Parts: sequence; structure tokens; C-alpha cells
Amino acid sequence: MTNYSFRILKAQPARTAFTIGGVALCAVLMLFLLSVYRGVADGSVEYIRHNRTDLWVLQENTTNILRGSSILSTGHGNLLREISGIRSVSPLVFFLSSIRKGERGSTVYLTGYDPATGIGAPPLITQGRNIQNDGEIILDRSFAAKSGFHTGDIVTLKGDSLRVVGISVQTNMFVVQYAFVTLRQAQSLIGYPGLVSCYLVQVQEPGTVASMKERIREEIPGLEVYDHDEFLKNNIREMQSGFLPLLYVIAAIGGIVLTTILTLILSISILERRRDFAVMKTLGSTHRFLGGLVYGQGLQISLTGCGAALAFFFPMIRLIEAISPEVSTKTSLEQIAGVFLTVSVMSGVSSLLAARKLARIYTLEAFS
Amino acid sequence: MNAHASNGHFIDLQKVSKRFGDNGNGTTAISNVSLSCSAGELVLLLGPSGSGKTTLLTLMAGLIEPSEGQVLLFGEEVRSYSDGELQRIRAHRLGFIFQNFLLIESLSVLENIVLVLRFAGITGSHAIEEARRLLRQFSIEHLSDKSPLKLSQGEKQRVAIARAIANGGELIIADEPTASLESSQGLQVIELLRNLAHAGNRCVVVASHDRRLVEFADCVVRLRDGAIEALEVHR
Repeated sequence: MTNYSFRILKAQPARTAFTIGGVALCAVLMLFLLSVYRGVADGSVEYIRHNRTDLWVLQENTTNILRGSSILSTGHGNLLREISGIRSVSPLVFFLSSIRKGERGSTVYLTGYDPATGIGAPPLITQGRNIQNDGEIILDRSFAAKSGFHTGDIVTLKGDSLRVVGISVQTNMFVVQYAFVTLRQAQSLIGYPGLVSCYLVQVQEPGTVASMKERIREEIPGLEVYDHDEFLKNNIREMQSGFLPLLYVIAAIGGIVLTTILTLILSISILERRRDFAVMKTLGSTHRFLGGLVYGQGLQISLTGCGAALAFFFPMIRLIEAISPEVSTKTSLEQIAGVFLTVSVMSGVSSLLAARKLARIYTLEAFS
Repeated sequence: MNAHASNGHFIDLQKVSKRFGDNGNGTTAISNVSLSCSAGELVLLLGPSGSGKTTLLTLMAGLIEPSEGQVLLFGEEVRSYSDGELQRIRAHRLGFIFQNFLLIESLSVLENIVLVLRFAGITGSHAIEEARRLLRQFSIEHLSDKSPLKLSQGEKQRVAIARAIANGGELIIADEPTASLESSQGLQVIELLRNLAHAGNRCVVVASHDRRLVEFADCVVRLRDGAIEALEVHR
């Protein structure tokens, strides 16, 4: 049956190639969206995942750091340190700021941390080193590539000159990227030396995290306290709520386009060969065999389309990342398998829709 | 289903009429036809265009149901067969030769035969061997891998006949089998069909407007305006 399906496709090489191209483009679109999603998902929360701590303490009603603003003071830190059973309290400052180099300016998610403890540092430095002193800054790799910054460059941030000492990865939130300075530098730049966004708290006894959470809430009013996993989930949820709806819409459009193209092409193929189908019906073919011919065509187009998509996808990703470094992608075997499975299912749906036309082909047509 | 009809007829038409369209505006294609065909017979349905030959042929093959009367196919009323049973009858017991041959052009000559064998439940190397044997029988084995598009009219007709008998069916239905052929080729084909009927103990029903075929037929049914004008039995 596969052979017959293949022969039917081979008889129309231009149309078959066009259809395979359409399927490949849809598969590439799906793969690209998934890869961008994974890239954004990792880039958005990897910083939090990497800075594993017992408790995250923020201003009341703040659930995340991606799209929430938390304003605390150094006084809160002092109160936290007074609670018995707490081993360390590390302040962090986050705020959006514009980095300038000459005439150019770009926005970063500026993060201030204490280099002495290293808590709140970027997950991974790929070039240069971590910050050690005020007057130094680490930039995200995508941001640096997009804006033309390199280690050793001097950039201006709110009038202060900072030297780029390192390039980090896993710090790309797609719409904005992390940049890292010392806590003191960040507080100075923002103009409020006593300002802190959140505290990372470590307890002395690992078994006391839950009770310490309640204790902090009771003893220091106006704070929100999360254990690490809870806070990570909050941030993932926040990232997904902003990104996933768009992803779903585009993926759905891709799926609809794919199904429409395939259904249309298979239906045209049936209509053009309706005499052949009428002859086969007259000669004793079962409905299952004829349906199988249509399904076989759909499957062969889909599989070839997926193969073409795979061959095209990775060079395309490299090109896109070279042109737009802020597009950070991550591709896994599971994603590829998922897309291939989706395309196969869509091909099955298309075949079913197209095969309905077979019921309206009659044996008498072989005699007309 | 494998047994012949109790009266020995493969096809038995009893006062069959066929109308197309509704009663008010309908057209009567076949009117009050009674006819039977048995193994070893070449039956010729002869008539001009529009006389109802093809409609009668499709009624005899069980492809359409009569508006009135009864069509017995292999001893059973056509209406009593389910769709699945009719499909199995076509796959195992009927062979068709179409006007203009209607070979599947995207398949090779061999694959056209193998396809019918597949419908009859013969697959794999058995089907290929059987298809090659048939092509050899008709002296066209050298055309096995060719596309039907590359064949002459005569070659196409031989392939069509080989395809019609591939499933070993006892009843061959041929619609204008000589219409697309030159005179000499047409006569060769009708000889071949007669041989299938007589030597192969099959029933071959041919619809044609070609009067030269009359001398080859065992039974000639002359049709005019959907009715039998004359019935001649030559044997």
C-alpha cells in the first residue's frame, strides 16, 4: 500500500515537493516556538534555580521577581538577623536600568549582590570573571552580542562608568536580560543606599524551614516569605502566563495551517484520481485499502516534511541567534519527538478529512 | 457465496427495469429485461449509444440495483447482499474490462495485476508470481515494469484482460472492449474473450455497438431504448 501511495505522490513531483515544504515549514515553526519557549523558560528562572536558598523574603503581596516589585530596607535585614535559628541573610537589589555605550542605550534587569558571599551571582560565567568590586559589571551574553559589548569595555549606567568584567549565560529573559553589579553599586545607582529588593535566608537547621517561614511572618510584619521551590514555581507561573498564551496561539495557527495544507492536497489528489479510485472500488477494493492509500500519502508527506524540517532547523537557529542574539533557544529530543508526533497526528486528521471524499466516489464512474 | 446458482446461471435478470431520477422527471434506462447468463457463454449486449448497454452491464454486475424486477447474481438476489458481500464478490468472482482500459497509470503493468490479486487476498511473492504468469500467458511479460502510459492500445487491452481474469473470477464484464482498438486488434480481443468463456468455463458479458462481434457470441442481446429488441442464441 505504501508503494502505491508513493507512486501517486511521485506522479505529481512539483505538488508533492510544495506540500512537503509546507509541512516542513509548519514543523520548523513548532520546533522554533518550543525551543524559544524552553530557552526563555530556562533563562527566566535559571537565576533563581541556581541561587538555591532556604527562604526568599520579599515585600508583602510580591510573588515573583520577574514582573513584581518588592521594596524592602536594610532594616528588614537587621530584623531577620536577630531571629534565632537563621544562619545567613543575603540582600539582593533588582531594578530595570539603561546601559549606555556612546550613543547607544539598552535596558537591563540590573541585579546587585554581595560578591563576598557570592549569593545572587549569575549562574554561569562564560567569559571573563565574576565581579569583585564596585565599578564592575557582568552582562548577559545575548545582551552583550546584541549591543556590541565586550569584556574590558566601559559602559555608562546612570552616569557611573562601569567596566565589563564578565559575560554570563542562562540570564536571558527574552524581553530583557540580567546584568550584575555589587550590591553597594546597585544601591548607589538607584539613589537609596538602604534599599533592598529581597533577602535570601538560610536557616541553621534544615528541618526548620517551614517553622522559620511562619516565624518570620509573625515577627516581621509586611513581608512575604517563600521556600525555594514555592518561589521558583511562582516565577515559572509568571513567565508562562506572559509567554504561553502567545505560544499556544502561534502553535495552533501552525497546526491549522498544516492540517489545511495536507487536507487540501490530499483532497485534490483524490478528486484528480477519482476515476482510479472508482476503478479500484469496482475491482473489489475495500474502503480500508482506499483510506489506507490516502493515509499513506499523508504519512509519507509528513515524515519527509519532518525530515526536511530537521535538516533546516538547526542551521536556521544558528542564523537567527547570530542575527538576533537575544533569541535564546534550547532544543531537546523530547521536543523534536513531540513535534514529529503532532505532525503525524495532524497528518492522520488530514487523511481522515480528505478520505471522506472517497465515500462520494461511485463504481459507476468507471463506466462513464 | 461460492456455489453456482441452483439453476446454473451466474446472472439471472427477471423483468428488470431501471429508472434514474424521480418518477415525474425520471428517465427509464432499462425496461422489463429478462435474461440469464451461464458459465462457458459469451453474451453480447449489442446496441447503439444510449440503448442501455452499460446500465444493463452494471445491473448484471450488481453495481446498481434495479428499480423493478430481480437481479440474481450467483443465485442470490443482489439486494440481499450487504455492501461487504458485494465487495467480496467483485474482488473474488468478477473481472472487469473497462472502455479505454482504465489501467492505473501511476502503477506499472505488473502492479496493476498485483493490485487486483491483492483485492482477492493474494499478496507478496505469490501475487507477483501469479501476475507474471498471467502476463506470460498473454505474451506481454516484457511489459511488466512499463507504465501503462507507454503502451500501445493493443497492449493496454491485453493488460486489461489479464487484470480482469487475475482473481480467477467466473464472470467477466466487458464494456466496449474493442472500441479503442483497430479492426484487427478488436477481432483478436473478442477471440481472446471467447476463448476465456469457452476454454476457461467463464461467463463473459460484453457490451458493444460493434456488429462484427456478433459472429463470436453465443448469445446476442439486441437492445434499443432500454428494451430487448431481439435475443439470438447461436449455440
